[in-house]
Amino acid sequence: MIRTTLTAVSLVVALAACGSDANDFPTNSCADVTGTCVQIDGGDVAGLQTTVNTLSPNTTIVLGKGTFAMTNSLTIRAAGVHLIGQGIELTTLDYATTAAQVNGVDVQGNDFLVQDLTVQDAPKDGIRVEASDGVVFRRIRATWTTPSDSTNGAYGIYPVKSQHVLVEDSRAEHASDAGLYVGQCQHVIVRNNVVTGNVAGLEIENTQYADVYGNTADDNTAGIVAFDLPGNPIVGRDVRLRDNIIRNNNHVNFAPGGTVAKIPAGTGTFAMASRRVEITGNTYQNNNTGDIALISGLVIEPDTTKWELATATLAGQWDDLGLLPGAGAGTITNYRSENVVVARNTHMGSGLHPDLNDPLQFGVLLILIYATNPVDSVLYDSVGEPMFNSTDAAMNSNANRICVGGNTNGTFASMNLAEQSASRQVPFFRPAAPFAPFDCTTLNGGPIADVVLP
Amino acid sequence: MRPSLRTLGATLAAVAVAAVAGCGADDAGGGVDLSQPVHVDVTAPPPTRLSAYNLFAWDPATGYTFNPTDDRVVPYDLNAPLFSDYALKQRAVYLPQGAAATYQPELVFDFPVGTVLLKNFAMAPDLRAPTVGVRLIETRLLVRYPDGWQPLPYVWNEDQTDAELAPAGAFEVIAFTDDAGQARTANYLVPQKNQCETCHARKPTPTAAPAIVPIGMKARHLNRGYDFGGAVGIANQLERLAALGMLTGAPATATIPAAYDLRPLDTGGVAAIPPADLDAAARSYLDINCAHCHDPNAVQGITSQLFLGHDNTDLFRLGYCKRPGSAGAGTGGFEFDIVPGSPDTSILYFRLATETVGAMMPLLGRSVTHTKGAALIHAWIAAMPPVDCTTM
Repeated sequence: MIRTTLTAVSLVVALAACGSDANDFPTNSCADVTGTCVQIDGGDVAGLQTTVNTLSPNTTIVLGKGTFAMTNSLTIRAAGVHLIGQGIELTTLDYATTAAQVNGVDVQGNDFLVQDLTVQDAPKDGIRVEASDGVVFRRIRATWTTPSDSTNGAYGIYPVKSQHVLVEDSRAEHASDAGLYVGQCQHVIVRNNVVTGNVAGLEIENTQYADVYGNTADDNTAGIVAFDLPGNPIVGRDVRLRDNIIRNNNHVNFAPGGTVAKIPAGTGTFAMASRRVEITGNTYQNNNTGDIALISGLVIEPDTTKWELATATLAGQWDDLGLLPGAGAGTITNYRSENVVVARNTHMGSGLHPDLNDPLQFGVLLILIYATNPVDSVLYDSVGEPMFNSTDAAMNSNANRICVGGNTNGTFASMNLAEQSASRQVPFFRPAAPFAPFDCTTLNGGPIADVVLP
Repeated sequence: MRPSLRTLGATLAAVAVAAVAGCGADDAGGGVDLSQPVHVDVTAPPPTRLSAYNLFAWDPATGYTFNPTDDRVVPYDLNAPLFSDYALKQRAVYLPQGAAATYQPELVFDFPVGTVLLKNFAMAPDLRAPTVGVRLIETRLLVRYPDGWQPLPYVWNEDQTDAELAPAGAFEVIAFTDDAGQARTANYLVPQKNQCETCHARKPTPTAAPAIVPIGMKARHLNRGYDFGGAVGIANQLERLAALGMLTGAPATATIPAAYDLRPLDTGGVAAIPPADLDAAARSYLDINCAHCHDPNAVQGITSQLFLGHDNTDLFRLGYCKRPGSAGAGTGGFEFDIVPGSPDTSILYFRLATETVGAMMPLLGRSVTHTKGAALIHAWIAAMPPVDCTTM
C-alpha cells in the first residue's frame, strides 16, 4: 500500500517537472490514482495521442483542463484504461477540425472508464466502446455544437457488444441518431443521465438485462426507447425503464436516414420487438404524438424471415422466453413485443399534436382517430393478436401478455394496426380502466431482477 | 477557414512525430547500408527510425532498392489492391534467414517470428505521370513478434531520407491530379498505431478473441506474375517465394485459385472489364476493400451483417434487398444495400461513391472517391436482373 502511494507521488513529481501546473488539474490528478498514471496538459494533443498509442494496460490518463483540438480519433486498444478529465465544463476533446471519418473516442478494452470530460463534434460517434467487459461512463458529455444538424454524428454515448456497462450522471446532446445508445450489450445500468436535442434520446437495442432509471429525456424526437432490430443474435430481454422523466420530446426529426428517421416527433417511449420489459414509475409530459407505444418489429420489417435467428448463434439465455419458431429449422424469431408491464407512470399533457410528417404516417392515423382529443397514453398495436374487437373487451385476446394499469391519468388503446392504412381507418379498442383483457400486472417468468455489476 | 484548420492538423501531426523522435535513443541515424543484412530484433522495442531495419533504400528519382542480401526481401503485388486515396504502393516481405512461411489455401500464410511485411505509400502530384515527383508519405510495417503481429507506422521526413516511428499517426492535406486529369484533394490520414486494428483485427473463429493479422498475404491475392527484374524477370510470386525457400507447402500454381486481376480496371477503367467478368471483378474489389470488416470473423462491420468476402454465397448478406441495421447518414436516403439493377438507389454504391464524412466507406483510408472502383460497382449492380426489393 505504502509502496503504491510512493509510486504515484514520484510519478506526479516527475510529471510536474515537465511543466504540469496543479491549477490545470483542479478536479482529478495522478495523486488520486493508484497504479500507473499519466497526466496530459490541457490541449497537448500530440502528447495525448502518443500516450494512447503506446499504452500499457491498466493505465490511467488524466487530462488537464482545456480544449484538445483533435485531428484524429482517440483510439484505445488496451485493457484497464481510465480516461479522466477535470469536468465536462473544463476538459473538452474537440473534433471540429477532424477530417477523418472516425469516432471521437474509440475503445476496445475491458475495464474501461471515462469520466469528467466533454467530447464534441465527433465525425461519427462521440464515445464508442465496443466488445468490452466492464465499462463505465461517468459525468461525461457527448455533444455536437450545431443543434438539429443532420451531419452531426450518429451516437453520443455508445457502448456496443459489451458486458457490464454503467452509464451515469452524463449528458448526451444533439446526436443525429441516438444520444445515449446501448446496443447489443448485457448487464447494463443507465442512471441519472440527461439526454436532450437528439433524434432518439436514449435507446436500448438488442440488449439483455438493462436497468434504466432516474434519467431525463427532454426535447428529443423520441425520449427513451427499447427495441430489437432484425438479424441480431442478442435477443433483447429484461429491460426496465423506471422512474425517468420523459417530457417535451417534440424535436423535429433531423436524422439523415435509417430506421430512426421514421420515428414521429413527439414520441415518449416505444418498445418494439421487445420482451420482458417493465415501464414503470416514469413521468411523461407534453410529448405531442403520444407517451408509450408497444409495437411489433413487423412494423419496420414485415418480412418474418428476416427476423429468423439460428438458435445456435444466440447469445445469453433465451430458451425460457417462448420465442416463436422461424420457418427454417433450428431458428426462432424476435419480432413480437410481448410480456410487457406498464404501470405506475404519470401522464400529463401529451398526445395533443401528433406529428403529421413522419414517413410511417402514425401521426396522420392518430389525428384521424382522435381529432382534437388527446391520444391515449399507452398505444398497443395488437399485431399478432388472434382476436380484436373495438367495442367488446371479451372479444379481444391478450396473446402477447401486455399488462397496463395503475398509471396516473393514464389511458389505453389497442390499435388493430394491421387493418389501418392511409385510405382506411378502423376504430381502436379503447377500454376504460382496468383495461381487461390487458389488466394483468406481472410478467411471465417473474419480475425483472436487479442488474448487478461487479 | 478549413484550409487553415487542416494546416493546424498537419502541424499537430508533425509535432507528434517530433515528440516521438524525442523519446527514442536507440538508433542515432546512420541510414540504410544495403551491403549489410536486414536487422530485425523482436526482443527489443521497435526502432524509432525505419532505416534501422535496413530493409530498402528509397530515392525519389530512382525508386526502391530492396536489400539484396540472400534475397530475403521480396517485393510483391496483389491481384486486387486496396484503394487508399490514390496512394502508390510498393509491398515487400522479409523473412529471416532459413525461415519459411507455411502455405494456407484460404487464410493468410503462417509466418515465422521475425517476418516483416512492409507497405510503402507514396503520392505523385500527377497520376498521369506516376513516376514523376513521387513523395513517400509512410511505410507501414507488420512485424511478427513471438506474441503476434505488431503494426508499426513510420512517417517519412520532408527530405525523404528516413522515416520515423509515429504511433500517433499523422494527417496531411494532399492535392494531386488523378489519372483522368481531375484535380483532387485527399485528407490523407496515416493511421495511428491503434487504428491499424480497424482493418487488421480478426477473430480466428466468430467467438474467439481478435488478433492482428495481415490481409494481402493470401494465396489468391499473390497468385500472379511480378517483374522481379535481373535474371529472374517476370515470375509467379508464389513460385518465386517457394524457389527462395520462403514458402513451403504450396501446391502447383495452376491448382491455386486467383483473385480477379484488377490491373485492367486500373488502366482502362470498367470498359476494360469484359461483361462476363463483371461479377468476378466486383466481388474481388469488394473482397479486398471491404471484407476485412464485412466478414463474420471480423470485428468492425459484423453488426451490419453485410458480408462482402469473395466466398460469401448468401445473396441477402451480400446486400441483395437487405436493409442496413443502423447506417444513419450512410443510407443516402436509400432503403437497401443493393437494389439489383439499380445502382443509383443502392446504399453499397452510394457509400463507395460519396465523399461525405459519416457516410462513406471504407471507414478509414479513403477520403476521395476511387472513380474507377465506384464505376465497377455501379456497372456490377446495373447488370443484375432488376428486382423490386419493396415487394420482397
